[in-house]
Amino acid sequence: MRRTSLLLKTYLRRDWFKFVVWALCIVGLAAVAAGKFNSLYETEAAMASIIATLKTPAMVSMFGPMTATAPYTVAVIYAMEMMVFMGFFMAMMNIYFAVKNTRGEEDSGVLELTRARAVSRNAPLTAVISQLVIINVVMGVLLTLGLEVSGMNGVTIEGSLLFGISLAIFGMMFGSFSLLIAQLTDNSRGATIGSYVLLGGLFVLRMITDVQNSDTTWWTIYGWIEKLNIYDQNDWFPVLLMLVLTVVVCTVTVMLNRTRDFGSGLLVLNHQQKSSSRLINGPFSLLLRLERMPLIIWTLGMFCLGASYGSIFGQVGDLLATNPMMAKILGSQGTDNANLAVVMSFAGMLSVVFAVVSTIPALQIIFKINRDERKGWLELIHANAVSRLKVYLSYLGLAVIISGICLFAAILGMYVSGSAAVDYDLDFSKFLRGFTAYFPAVLAVMGVGTFFVGLMPRLQNIVWFVPIYGFVSIYLGALLDFPKWAKQLTPYGWFSKVPTHAVPTEPLLLCLGITIVLGIIGFITYRNRDLTVN
Amino acid sequence: MTETVLEVKNLQKNFGKFQALKDVTFNVNKGEVFGFIGPNGAGKSTTIRALLGILKSNGGSATIFGQDVWQDAVTIHERLAYVPGDIYLWPNLTGGQIIDLFLKLNGEKHSSKTDALIKEFALDANKKARTYSKGNRQKVALIAAFSTDADFYIFDEPTSGLDPLNERIFQNHVKELKNEGKSILLSSHILSEVEKMCDRIGIIREGKVIETGSLDELRHLTRTMITVKTNGALDSVAKLDGVHEFVVDTADQQKATFAVDSDKLAGVMTQIAALGVVSLQSAPPTLEDLFMHYYHEDSKEA
Repeated sequence: MRRTSLLLKTYLRRDWFKFVVWALCIVGLAAVAAGKFNSLYETEAAMASIIATLKTPAMVSMFGPMTATAPYTVAVIYAMEMMVFMGFFMAMMNIYFAVKNTRGEEDSGVLELTRARAVSRNAPLTAVISQLVIINVVMGVLLTLGLEVSGMNGVTIEGSLLFGISLAIFGMMFGSFSLLIAQLTDNSRGATIGSYVLLGGLFVLRMITDVQNSDTTWWTIYGWIEKLNIYDQNDWFPVLLMLVLTVVVCTVTVMLNRTRDFGSGLLVLNHQQKSSSRLINGPFSLLLRLERMPLIIWTLGMFCLGASYGSIFGQVGDLLATNPMMAKILGSQGTDNANLAVVMSFAGMLSVVFAVVSTIPALQIIFKINRDERKGWLELIHANAVSRLKVYLSYLGLAVIISGICLFAAILGMYVSGSAAVDYDLDFSKFLRGFTAYFPAVLAVMGVGTFFVGLMPRLQNIVWFVPIYGFVSIYLGALLDFPKWAKQLTPYGWFSKVPTHAVPTEPLLLCLGITIVLGIIGFITYRNRDLTVN
Repeated sequence: MTETVLEVKNLQKNFGKFQALKDVTFNVNKGEVFGFIGPNGAGKSTTIRALLGILKSNGGSATIFGQDVWQDAVTIHERLAYVPGDIYLWPNLTGGQIIDLFLKLNGEKHSSKTDALIKEFALDANKKARTYSKGNRQKVALIAAFSTDADFYIFDEPTSGLDPLNERIFQNHVKELKNEGKSILLSSHILSEVEKMCDRIGIIREGKVIETGSLDELRHLTRTMITVKTNGALDSVAKLDGVHEFVVDTADQQKATFAVDSDKLAGVMTQIAALGVVSLQSAPPTLEDLFMHYYHEDSKEA
C-alpha cells in the first residue's frame, strides 16, 4: 500500500497528545483500582461480602456475572468486575480515533488533498487501521504492566496478559465497527452516532442477557469480554472470536472503501428537502432544526436505556431468589417491601447514570458555540441583527431542553418497563424525584461548561472530566470504597438518598446557584472577547 | 502530431438519481494550458474529482498519460499535482510541515525550489495551519504543487483567495511550467485570467462540455460587436442575414451598434462599405461575452 507508513507517521504524530490523555485516563483507572483492591478485600469476611453483593442481579447488570468459583483471589474479583467497564472505555477511545481519522478527514476535505497525491486508494484507511492497532497494542502492554506491578494477590502473568490483550482486541473490534460504519454514513457525525448506537445497544443487550440467562450473552458480542475467566482458567477463546471478527470487519471495510466514491456514504440518504424553512427564523430554531435528528435519537435511545434497566427490576428485586432465608423471615408482605427498597435504591443508582449520560448531549451543544464559531458558521449569523446574548441563549436553551428530555425519557422508560416487570405497584412520583434532583445536577455541570466556553474556550474539553469522574466515582465508588468526599466532588454525588428519600433542598439550590452564576460569568466573558480566538 | 496528456470521452457521473456529468469530452495536449469554465454547479469540480480517481465514473472513459484515472490513480498521481479551491489543512500542523508531507506523499523532498516559493509567496511556514486565512491555505497548496516535479497540473479555482500580487506570481509560475512543456488544466471563474493564460478552453454546462477550442475558434462561433457611422441610412443593414441586436443611436440616425455572427462578418462589411463608412469600431467578444452567450442560451432553454 503506497505511502501507508508515511500517513501513519503523520497520524501518530498529530494524535500523540490526545492518545496520551486517553491512555492516562484508562490505564490510570485500571491501575488505581488494582492498587486499591488488596487493601479493600484483605479479610475473608470482606471477600465473602463483596462476592455476595456482586452476585445480586443489580450488580450483575452493572458489572457482568460473577462466575468465579472458590477459592477466590483478589485478582479474580478485580478482573470479573473491571472488564465490562474497561471495555466500554476502550471502545469509546477507538470510536473517537476511528471516526476522526477516516470520515472526519473526508468531511473536512483534507483527505482530498492527500488522495490527489501518489497515495493508494486504501492507504489512508490502512494507515488508520495500523494506527488503531498500534494504539491498542500500547494500551494492552500498559494495562498488562499496570496489573503486574500492582501487586494484587493472585495476579499471574498469563492472567495479566489476557487482561491486556483482550481489552486491546476488544477496543480494536469496536474501532473496526466504527471504520465500517464510516463507510456507510456520509458524515462524521453520523458515523459517531451510529457507532455509539451500536455500542450502547450491545451493552444493554449484554446487561439484559446477563441478568436473565448469561449463556445467551455470547450472542451479544459485547459479552465476550466477560467470558474470559481471567486469573482463573484464563480462557483465550473469546479473544480468538474478537480477533476473527475484527479481521473480517476490517477486510469488508477495506473492500467497501475501494469502490466507494470520495465523500459519499454507501447508505444513500435523501438530503434534499423542499419545505419547512418557514420554521427557521432565528438562531434557536436554526439550531433546533440542525440538531433535530440527534435530538430524536437521544430521546429514543435514553427511553430504551431506561426501559432496558427497568426490564430487569423483577430479577433485581427478587429477594426470594437471592436471599431465600431473608425472604422467609420477612414474609410475603415484608418481602415485597424489601424488594421495593432494593428496586428503589437500584433506580436511584441508575438515575445518576442517566444524569451523566444526559449531560453528554448538553455539553456537546454548549461546546458547539465555539466549534461552529471556529468553522465560520456563525460569522454570517453575527453579521445579522442577532445579539451575542441571543446566540448564547439559543445554544444554552437547547442544551437545557435536550438534557431535560433525555433524563426524563430515561426515567420514564425505567418506570414503564419496571412496572411491567414487578408484581407490586411502583410510585411514579418517587421516580420523578430522580429527575427533580439530578436535572439540577446536570444543569450545574452545564454551568461549568458555559464558564469554560466563555473564559477558556480552548480548554473547554476539560469539562468532560466532570461527567466522566462523576460516572466512575458513582459506578465504581462502592466497589472501590471511595471516601464520601471523593463521591461528592461532582454534583452527581449530592443526592445519594434520592429517590428513597425526598429531594434535599440545599444541594438543589446550590446546583441552581452554580448554574446561574457560572452561566452569567460565561456569558459576560463570551460577550466581551474576540469570537474566533478559540 | 501533438501528444495528448488528458483524454476524456463521454464521461458520466450520477449521484443517485442526479446526473452530475452527462457527457464530458475534451483533451488536454502536452505543453498547453487548458481553461475549464462554466457556471457554478455545472460539474467542473466533479469532473476534476473523477479525473483524480476519487470519484468513480458511471460511463465513458478518462485517461491521463494514457492510463485509466480510476485503475491507475497512484501511478498517475506520481506525475500530477492538484490544488483545489476550498482548502482545509490539519489545523495543528504548521504550513511547512504540511508542504513537506504533501511532497513526501509524492516521493519528493523539500528542495531549494520549495524555499524559494515560500519566500516568493511570502508565506509564514512556521505558523500552525489553524491560524491561516483562506489565501494562506491556498498558498500552502500552491507551493506544494509548484515544487512538485509533475507533468500535469490541475488547478481548481486556485486564486479565489489570493491578492492580485500573489495572483500574478501564480500566473508567472503557470507560464514557466508551460515553457517547460508541462500541461495544465485550469478551472477558474476569473475569466480575464483564463483569457490571458489559456491556449484552449472548454465550456461546461449542466454536466456537458458544450464547446472546446482556442479562444479564436470560440470567438468564431459567436458575434462581433460593431459600432458604425455611415453617410447613408442604416435601415437596410438591420435586415441583413447575421445581424442581431441592431440599435440606432438616438442622437445620430446614421450611427448604429449591432452584433454580427462571426461567419457572416464579411458579407455584412461589404454592404456597410457600400453606404460609405465614416467611422467603424469592432470589438471581438471577450471571454466574458462568450460565457454570457452560452449562459443565456442556457437560461433560455430552461
